Amino acid sequence: MFVTLPEFEYHRPQTVSAALDLLDQYGGGATVMAGGTDLLVDMRYRIRVPEHVIDLKGIEELGKLTFQPGEGLVIGATVTLNRLLEYDAVQSRFGALHDALEDMCDDQVRNRATLAGNLCTASPAADCAPPLLVFDAKVEVASPAGRRMVDLPDLFTGVKETSLGTDEMVTAVHVPEPPPDVQSRYLKGKRSSEDCAIVGVAALVARWDDPRDRVVRLAYSSVAPTPVRVYDVERIFRQDKPWGDLVEEAVSAALNRVSPISDVRSSKEYRVHLIDVLTRLALRELLGGRR
Amino acid sequence: MTQRIELVINDRCRTVEVASNTTLLEMLRDQLKFKSVKPGCWRGDCGLCLVLIDGRPIKSCLVLAQELDDREVVTVEGLLDNGNITRLHQSFIEKGALQCGYCTPAFLLASEALLRRNPHPTRERVCESMNGILCRCTGYKQIVDAILAASE
Ligand SMILES: Cc1cc2nc3c(=O)[nH]c(=O)nc-3n(C[C@H](O)[C@H](O)[C@H](O)COP(=O)(O)OP(=O)(O)OC[C@H]3O[C@@H](n4cnc5c(N)ncnc54)[C@H](O)[C@@H]3O)c2cc1C
Ligand code: FES
Ligand code: FES
Repeated sequence: MFVTLPEFEYHRPQTVSAALDLLDQYGGGATVMAGGTDLLVDMRYRIRVPEHVIDLKGIEELGKLTFQPGEGLVIGATVTLNRLLEYDAVQSRFGALHDALEDMCDDQVRNRATLAGNLCTASPAADCAPPLLVFDAKVEVASPAGRRMVDLPDLFTGVKETSLGTDEMVTAVHVPEPPPDVQSRYLKGKRSSEDCAIVGVAALVARWDDPRDRVVRLAYSSVAPTPVRVYDVERIFRQDKPWGDLVEEAVSAALNRVSPISDVRSSKEYRVHLIDVLTRLALRELLGGRR
Repeated sequence: MTQRIELVINDRCRTVEVASNTTLLEMLRDQLKFKSVKPGCWRGDCGLCLVLIDGRPIKSCLVLAQELDDREVVTVEGLLDNGNITRLHQSFIEKGALQCGYCTPAFLLASEALLRRNPHPTRERVCESMNGILCRCTGYKQIVDAILAASE
């Protein structure tokens, strides 16, 4: 049933330091808002009732989106999913992220929703998280004490929980430039076009032809309290063994790392099955005839 | 707490007094009586509340009215050309792209935005751009046909 939004005070600071002052002043009573596509829904259902909403979209610095060879991608906290989707470097170098963006929400929601908002909601199903985990992304966090870089896995602490303090905010997401021959995919198992993932798998492969130097990375959404990267697969794929054995070991490493549950979208058993199928499919698509 | 905002709606400047918790959907529909902006789910799923903000299709139930200070909004009324319907409207009529009409303002606005950016989209592209809007009557085929016909 429809209810109006709870009452709150709206703030639209022009600078990061003004936003931090507001966070400092109102403590836990304030929430930052980027696109509002998660926050406003939560507020309507009274899952969250902040007294102060700090809209970040007036802060020019947070709208920057750049790619520099050597430095990689820098994605400001108010950059929308559609701006990223239309950005050439994302399509040409960050395939798994492009896959995820193409299949997220819908065109209208992508005109509002941001990448930083997707990460800060910290849903186990956040579609941008697995691609950013395989790309070794870091999150730039600002607080009254200054700025620090947080490795993405350390941002997620639980279901919809982050390590951010009440006086902190994300200013940008940094994604280092991947190795030159990198290929990556994100595959999402889901029920209908707008639904969130039952299981999402991001896979990245580089330098495949030299077993000792191979880079293979896997990360998942919707299979644990937080999005997870399975670090063991790196070591597994550096062994000089037949393809079938490597994939078998990789799938069991993934299953060891995750803790899928049954919920409205899928049973636990079906999730386990999808992890197996989607992992094999993603690697096969990336490697084609080379395996 | 209310706030006075100035914005352009369908090429006309307006000054509106809005509460902090008023969404753009409530401001347009209840305060300014643009009844073409339809409520559905109030949570971003159905797309019926769609309007164009600075030319981009956006679901107005997930926008605070106060964010619209100094911005430009177009509702379906703004698509008329000197009071006349356009080729896109005509195409919707010819292809039978509506039955009850509840979703029609949203589809007209979304397809107008698509055709402005991409005058000759593929069928796949049209479906992709429209998949955030629900229609309970037509089964979508006629809507996609109408948009493609208008783009020829
Ligand atoms: C119809 C619909 C479909 C959707 N489909 C998908 C989908 O397919 N996949 C998916 O992953 N998600 C989906 N979502 C969820 C949502 O759109 C995304 O998570 C989106 O990226 C959130 O971004 P936002 O800018 O709107 O976040 P907001 O709602 O503005 O913020 C989300 C949370 O993050 C916090 N936050 C935002 N920015 C910062 C910052 N800079 N620093 C610190 N905290 C911050 C906010 O306080 C809030 O808690 C969908 C939502 C809707 C309504
Ligand atoms: S009422 Fe806005 S999307 Fe349904
Ligand atoms: S025509 Fe009735 S909902 Fe689309």
